[in-house]
Amino acid sequence: MNTNFLPSWKGLWAFAGTEARVQLHEYLSIATTVLVQMIFIFFVWLLAPPQLLPFAVVGSMVFSSFVVGERVLDEAAYIRIDHKLNELYHASPLTPESYFLGMGMGVLAAYLPPLVVLGVLSELVHPFTVLSLGVLVGTLALVWLIAASLGYVLSTFFIDMRAIWPYATLLFNFFGVLPPVFYPLGLFPSYLTEFALLLPPSAGAALVVHAMGLEPLSGGEIVLALTALLVEALLLSSFAIYWARKRTREGV
Amino acid sequence: MSVSDSVSSSGLALFAENMRKVYHTRGKPSVEALRGLSLSVKRGERVALLGRNGAGKTTFLKIASTLLMPTSGRIEIFSKDVSVHPEEVRPYIAVVPQEGHPFYHLTPWEQVYTYLLTRGFSRETARERTEVALRDMDIYDIRDQLNVTLSGGQQQRTMVATVLATEAPLLFLDEPTLGMDPFARRRVWAALRKLTDRGSTLLLTTHYLDEAESLSHKVYIIEKGKVVAQGTSSDLKRSVGGTVRVTIPMDSAKSEDFASFGRIMTGEGVIHVITEPPQINEILNTALRRGLSATVGPVTLEEAFLQLVGRAIEDEH
Repeated sequence: MNTNFLPSWKGLWAFAGTEARVQLHEYLSIATTVLVQMIFIFFVWLLAPPQLLPFAVVGSMVFSSFVVGERVLDEAAYIRIDHKLNELYHASPLTPESYFLGMGMGVLAAYLPPLVVLGVLSELVHPFTVLSLGVLVGTLALVWLIAASLGYVLSTFFIDMRAIWPYATLLFNFFGVLPPVFYPLGLFPSYLTEFALLLPPSAGAALVVHAMGLEPLSGGEIVLALTALLVEALLLSSFAIYWARKRTREGV
Repeated sequence: MSVSDSVSSSGLALFAENMRKVYHTRGKPSVEALRGLSLSVKRGERVALLGRNGAGKTTFLKIASTLLMPTSGRIEIFSKDVSVHPEEVRPYIAVVPQEGHPFYHLTPWEQVYTYLLTRGFSRETARERTEVALRDMDIYDIRDQLNVTLSGGQQQRTMVATVLATEAPLLFLDEPTLGMDPFARRRVWAALRKLTDRGSTLLLTTHYLDEAESLSHKVYIIEKGKVVAQGTSSDLKRSVGGTVRVTIPMDSAKSEDFASFGRIMTGEGVIHVITEPPQINEILNTALRRGLSATVGPVTLEEAFLQLVGRAIEDEH
């Protein structure tokens, strides 16, 4: 059996720690992350019917987890294009898969404070049960893995930072805000329900609000959303590992 | 990991034979960056790759450091095939990338320390080595400032410190002293010498020929993806026809009077006669008889480089 096929996580935690330090030094951007979400929730509280507020808070948590992908995209491209640090790390015992996943974990560290703040807010607005808390954590983890994989893979196609900002922002906001992430699935056109349940952020949000008893899903919808999340997470993270290994030998 | 454990019985740290690399870009003609390049580096040696921009130095360094696949050829590091088993080679190497920058939002201390942790060193060893490397690079006093606030030279020293602290058996340094002042460069040279004294091997590229001359046991000159000359700095200087240069301000068209004394090289409003010491008196007398001044100095590696690369370009055409 060729053991090289299996992932090796050498250096993962140390590199994740490095990335977390980098992110945490940029405390202003973390504060901004919290602030932007809170402003959005404030407007929902101000303008929308009260029953929509828990949806907005749950959506903010799922969105925070999804938008990690945008930050991974920016970070991976930035340290490759502007810093050439990928060469420093690739030519070392740190494995390519640890480099990719460690970056995702490090960036997630920056999004933990907003997630905790939003989690507390959500508890105040609509208390969690043990089950719904478990669904929330599992869903956020899957959405994070999908987004980080997507962000890393996409980052390797760019050779100029200026080209990244508009595309990355558009991509992650389009799929993170437009579908039913911050609002109930029932408000989305019914003929697009299945499509929404295939998209990671809206599938994740639908599962969490279902577990919290805010908007029940049918059995078929639960299976579809859960399967979509699991399959997408497995496929995209496997591809990201393959891609990381391949690009490491292509000077990228 | 000790170097002795990892070095092949041949004593070579790096062996490359007939390396070729062709870059294919859609819609553009293919570029052959390496065209049969062969070289070897012995354990404990400091070797410099010299060449014009685009000669293939960085491409070779990237292939050797597992960052790029060659189109063809054989390359081994400590007897391990770089193309086939990069993961076996990586623990033995470390790279200072060309024009690399440290993480802007880490401090020099964090940069070096976390890199060592990533490579698997214990916290205690990482702390010790970080301190030594930062002191060697003379950036210990600014260890807690964010890298983004440092000058370009200080950032470059942070990069070099990061890699030197690994004490890897084979270090690749792509223009390691770029942007450093002369004092800082000499600091780096001293640290590199210290490292090779302890058994590491260095392969570096540089455009500072004084650096190559001062630092390297052996120099390879590369032009258009091939080695066009190799040897010690002295060997290369001798290969241009002499060890002494007599410079005479005059029109190169009238230089034939001096041609019998050695090789004539022309500069802006001057000629250089490359010769050996016994010829000096006669050249000076000839110059004085014509009312010309003359200065005498040793042939530099830069002159040898210009000669050798110039010859290679002529041969190509």
